[in-house]
Amino acid sequence: MNMHKHDVQHKQAFDEPLWWGLFSAGGVCFAVLLPAVILFIAVLLPLGLLPAEALSYERASSLLFSVPGFLFVGAVVCMPLFHAAHRLRHGLFDISVGNDALNKKLMYGGATLLSVLALGIVVAGFLR
Amino acid sequence: MNTQQISTKQVSVKRYLPDSSAEPFWQQYELPVDDSTSLLDALNHIKEQLDSTLSYRWSCRMAICGSCGVMVNGIPKLGCKTFLRDYEGDIRIEPLAHFPVQRDLVVDMEIFLEHLAAVKPYLIDDNPVKPYDPKTPETYQQTPEQLERYKQFANCINCGLCYSACPQFGLNQEFLGPAALTLAHRYNLDSRDHGKKERMAELNRHDGVWSCTFVGFCSQVCPKHVDPAAAVNQGKVEAAKHTLIALFKG
Amino acid sequence: MDKSSSQRLPPLKRNWWLKHRFFKLYMLREATVLPLVFFTLCFLAGMVALLQGADSWQGWIAFMGSPIVLLLNLLALAASLFHAATFFVLFPRVMPIRIAGHSLPDQVTVAGQWAGVVVVALLFFWLLVRSGA
Repeated sequence: MNMHKHDVQHKQAFDEPLWWGLFSAGGVCFAVLLPAVILFIAVLLPLGLLPAEALSYERASSLLFSVPGFLFVGAVVCMPLFHAAHRLRHGLFDISVGNDALNKKLMYGGATLLSVLALGIVVAGFLR
Repeated sequence: MNTQQISTKQVSVKRYLPDSSAEPFWQQYELPVDDSTSLLDALNHIKEQLDSTLSYRWSCRMAICGSCGVMVNGIPKLGCKTFLRDYEGDIRIEPLAHFPVQRDLVVDMEIFLEHLAAVKPYLIDDNPVKPYDPKTPETYQQTPEQLERYKQFANCINCGLCYSACPQFGLNQEFLGPAALTLAHRYNLDSRDHGKKERMAELNRHDGVWSCTFVGFCSQVCPKHVDPAAAVNQGKVEAAKHTLIALFKG
Repeated sequence: MDKSSSQRLPPLKRNWWLKHRFFKLYMLREATVLPLVFFTLCFLAGMVALLQGADSWQGWIAFMGSPIVLLLNLLALAASLFHAATFFVLFPRVMPIRIAGHSLPDQVTVAGQWAGVVVVALLFFWLLVRSGA
């Protein structure tokens, strides 16, 4: 029993480096890419401050449904999602909501699902 | 600045006397202060002149022994390095947070010492230098560059202020915590040490480096400017490398 | 040594972070991901719209222009900048860069990262304003 407890306490966290690596990479993307992405796509575009053809249906499609578009989605959707998942998981622990084992599955699982969805959309658009 | 100018200030001390009262209570003291009065001087004045029942730890008066840590207005401080001249109005003195209080300002730091011992904060060398022989002196050799790598992290005086500043330690007392993880990193960075593998087994646990969320308050309160938050997070990079290597080696 | 020989205190109450300005700023930093998630969901919706066709795409742009969505995305923009300001200063502390035995001053690393933000913005300007026109 004591041996078992010792084993549990010294369990190596093999998954944590992965989550932390994704968190860090996502943090860089969030900080370096997202200010410009949000400014141009979520502010200037809907306010009509971009040239009419800049993100027309045809141009937006050809930009997004391409190999660079695939990489772009990875950097501005998937990576930041894992960054957010990590911070939300730890944030929930900070305010004692739920339990960490379940929160981990929900958060990283959610980020994985949305990432697959996002990349899947690019592939679907590329193949059509 | 005229250090002779004496005025009076009021400090509130959180008392806990388990023999006479089950609950802690606040007690106010008026005392004379000048520009050079440290918080430790104030506590000594209380103890000697006003109230001999007050308990607190202290020793060196010069921020090297690390025993006079207390909370001042909710922030962990060394009593000897804190000056009353820097405080206007209320000065509330409490025992260090996140540690069980034994009496008044004296806390039980056993858990910190356990976490410290767990990371083996000493040189581990499979082939140590031979016993000193004056004819053929053999010593550990280290270049200034090698020293520079860990020097900052070697300034820790084990005062425990970072544990009182760390909410993750407050939320989960099994977390090894800032000072222990910093000391582990300090020895891992030391060119004379070969114990990194043993320490990595402790660091790469959920309660090791991975419980840290870089709140960073530990580094703010550290009286020796060790920057434990940086050390812990460099420890994450090391733990990640360690895991990758273990993965490839199978 | 028995690991559980010493006394353990119960966890902090969930409002611990309200007691100090430093902890409130920490929580604000952690909360920057909330508007980020909102923007990301908007962006995903835009991708779906783009896949569906030209009408959906125009509909999505109109949706993005509705006051509440625009306001939340402006919040996301502010959050991304606040995140950048807090994240960039951590980087040199986590990964100190050493060149020829000397560590690079923190300010250089931080300035380099802000330069990255500007370069990306200029890239977008070039892609969407200059060559798109």
